[in-house]
Amino acid sequence: MDALINDLIAFSPQIIAGLKNTLLLMVIMSVTGLFGGIAVFYLTLSRTNAVRTWTERYISFFIGTPLLVHLFLMYYGLPEFGIHLSAFTVCIIGFTLNVSAYNARYLMTAYHGLDKMELEAAQTQGFTHPEIFRLIILPQVMRLSVPSLTNQVIQNLKDTSVAFLIQFPDFFAQMQEIASTNFQFFKTYMTAGLVYLALVSIIVIAARRLERHISLPGFHI
Amino acid sequence: MALLEVKNLVKKFDDKDILKGISLELHEGQSKVVMGGSGCGKSTLLRCLNLLIQPTSGEIIFKGENITRPGVDVRKLRQDIGFVFQHFALYRHLTVQDNITLGLRKLKKMPAKAAVEKALYELERVDMVEHRNKYPAQLSGGQKQRVAIVRALAMDPAVIFLDEPTSALDPQMTREVVTVINKLYLDNITMLCVTHDAFLAKYISDSIVFMDEGAVAAEDIAERLFYDHPDPRVRQFFLSVIDHR
Repeated sequence: MDALINDLIAFSPQIIAGLKNTLLLMVIMSVTGLFGGIAVFYLTLSRTNAVRTWTERYISFFIGTPLLVHLFLMYYGLPEFGIHLSAFTVCIIGFTLNVSAYNARYLMTAYHGLDKMELEAAQTQGFTHPEIFRLIILPQVMRLSVPSLTNQVIQNLKDTSVAFLIQFPDFFAQMQEIASTNFQFFKTYMTAGLVYLALVSIIVIAARRLERHISLPGFHI
Repeated sequence: MALLEVKNLVKKFDDKDILKGISLELHEGQSKVVMGGSGCGKSTLLRCLNLLIQPTSGEIIFKGENITRPGVDVRKLRQDIGFVFQHFALYRHLTVQDNITLGLRKLKKMPAKAAVEKALYELERVDMVEHRNKYPAQLSGGQKQRVAIVRALAMDPAVIFLDEPTSALDPQMTREVVTVINKLYLDNITMLCVTHDAFLAKYISDSIVFMDEGAVAAEDIAERLFYDHPDPRVRQFFLSVIDHR
């Protein structure tokens, strides 16, 4: 165990840099994925059939195919067409497209539970469709989707660990580096697991607080 | 000139005729109730009149303008027509006060303070001021409907449409709501109300339109329609409705 602690101390600059990259990636994709999810959700409510159909296809494609495939397609596939993107850029684009699809699906599920008479009431008051979306639909579906959206943030954190497969120096990449140096695979990966667990616990505590903060009578989330 | 004039209004869904040439007039300060059996087209009529449903043919003249013509400013039109729903349709993420001020602030562009003052004034009229910070889930059915009425009234519409305003309420709550609508009637608020409730119809109407199978079968004051009408369909309907109560 002492040897592992010594290695962790010796590698601490890389570990901290990896942890920073992991957290940066997680925060960026959670934010872009949230806004992307809202935009995709908005398109699913379009009154134009073609827009709804293509949006549904987009969601089905990204939910129906592994994240790693998207990352590999962009990182290893696009150079065949002369498009070279950095690992970080590929991660941001790939994760955002993937997370947006999942978030849009969560928001759609919440939308199906709304009382549609409220939307008709807003229409009869004279609100336009974009106003109804912004003032009536979004505040309600966001509240109802908090558990799903925060689960997605947890998933985002865990998914960052596949980024090392396209050479992105995240936290897990650094831990793998240590394991391949000291050959203490079990202890090193267990340590990595505990760090992820600690980070997830922080997200869970924050999510519970958020749920309490935004809970309203009549909203059972 | 009538505030609202409907001429030969037809609505078809697929090949089914829901409205078969409805004609009626509503004058300023007048309160008219539309009654009829389930599926006779009452609610469809109301939804056609504020263009929530596009009529198949016919004309709707509102404030002298034919609103069935293309290019009508639907947003502006709807701000002039208050609508009260059977199941209240309050925005459940907003407090009572915010339910009322939302339209005032966002549609009428009223400053927040003035909107709150207006909301409180209107809530006072229906004894709901003390509930202003509650959410819809914390209110009884009767209270929700009173708030829904206030939400419509606060916009100062030219007319209020009420779609079965008491159908989702128990007798006690029905009485509460009838009292409120009766106050509006006595204040000469222009209303067009669709209902099954003969008790409500009697206390809030200048005249009652009886619809049968998508057409206007009779129009008269409550007493004559309820007890003394030559048409046996009308007599049969009101006999059943009044006995039921």
